[in-house]
Amino acid sequence: MIRTEKLTKYFGSTQALKGVSFEIQKGEIVGFLGRNGAGKTTLMRVLTSYLPASSGHVIIDGKDVLKHSLAIRQKIGYLPETPPLYSNMTVREYVRFAAQLKDVPAKKISAQVEKVLDQCYLRNVAHRTISILSKGYQQRVGIAQAIVNDPEILILDEPTNGLDPVQIQRVRELIRNLEEERTVIISTHILSEIEQIAERVLIIKDGMIVADDTLSNLLCDEQGWQQSLEDVFLRLNQ
Amino acid sequence: MNKVWAITRKELAAYFKSPVAYIILFVTICVFNMFFFMIIDSNREATLRDVFKVMEFLFVFIVPLLTMKTFAEEKASGTMEFLMTTPTRNTQIVFGKYLGSIIFFTLIIAMTSVYYFIIELFAAPDRAAVLTGYLGVWLEGAMFIAIGLLISSLTQSQIVAAICSYIVLFLLYFSTSFTQYTHGAVEEVVRYTATFSHAENFAAGLITTSDLTYYLSTIIFCLVLTRISIENRLWR
Repeated sequence: MIRTEKLTKYFGSTQALKGVSFEIQKGEIVGFLGRNGAGKTTLMRVLTSYLPASSGHVIIDGKDVLKHSLAIRQKIGYLPETPPLYSNMTVREYVRFAAQLKDVPAKKISAQVEKVLDQCYLRNVAHRTISILSKGYQQRVGIAQAIVNDPEILILDEPTNGLDPVQIQRVRELIRNLEEERTVIISTHILSEIEQIAERVLIIKDGMIVADDTLSNLLCDEQGWQQSLEDVFLRLNQ
Repeated sequence: MNKVWAITRKELAAYFKSPVAYIILFVTICVFNMFFFMIIDSNREATLRDVFKVMEFLFVFIVPLLTMKTFAEEKASGTMEFLMTTPTRNTQIVFGKYLGSIIFFTLIIAMTSVYYFIIELFAAPDRAAVLTGYLGVWLEGAMFIAIGLLISSLTQSQIVAAICSYIVLFLLYFSTSFTQYTHGAVEEVVRYTATFSHAENFAAGLITTSDLTYYLSTIIFCLVLTRISIENRLWR
């Protein structure tokens, strides 16, 4: 469903991505794991067509992301690292606005907005202005805008960053509920999060993929002994 | 079109949800009223020609306040990333935002229509000249907004956007004063670039192709550049 071929991305003389290639099948839940500054956000931005790659291709459903960017964007729900919220709007207004921009048919908008508000446990704050909500709620509003058009692919950039443990648990539950029939890509540097959510892990270091395997395979070393994800991560990042 | 309208409504709601919109409306109307009274009182003429001139001058100050946040704020808060990853064309984003500012600006102009009715009550003003005068003022504002939108799309800082818009609008407005230092073809160019020489004709009841071309081509040019500017991913 998603295929990248030798993606590179330069910011001036800095190379953020160094020939990233991978393939993700429909329905997979993939975690991008890496330290801060490893290139996770850049990679996600390239996948969503927000940033063009310096070289290489992103092919989604057989179409090049840059050439068919509008069609591809309809299939993608994206939550950037900082939830992109209009602080003066109410939650309902914002989700409705997102639905309008994401081609939800006019007749279905109201029903879809209400459905998403329920899914993201936002009903009790739907009439509140976004600026006065707690960070946990704001994060869920960010997820609500990402899923309002029922996208086939969900790309979440550090969705639990900066939340308290209870909020983190709620957001993880929410993501688990969204997994059905969707391809989910989630980036994080929190190892336990990957263990709870992802089936497959891509470990990124300095703009390169240094490991790409299922979680169960990664947690077994060469001799078949169990090892923790933390050990694997630290070893690869040495 | 639905998306353009959705963005326009969002822009208008943003204006009216902050006190800035009400302050701009209140202060503008107070200042306009004051000048209207002073001009009519000193000229004793049933014409709005000088009122239009004052309005145009004041728009140089007001428009940057309207346009400074259009794109700069979206970039600074990260919502530009949201807009540009939805299946919305860049042209629709630019149009939506432009329309939002234009509607707010039209509201300010509409509030001044009461001046016409006041002079109509006491004398017989030249109706055609009043209409063309309003068209001139509106076109000039529409052009200023297009320039402000372009400048806002070039920066992440609202303050930088406002200051740069002031510089450009001041230069455009006052460039007739520079004609005394120029000669020949340069003088012609400077005179044509100045907004002052074009707005004057409208206020006098004249609609010329040259003036219309000046306003419309600048508006289209700025909107096209704005679209290119948000497409240019250097700032991301």
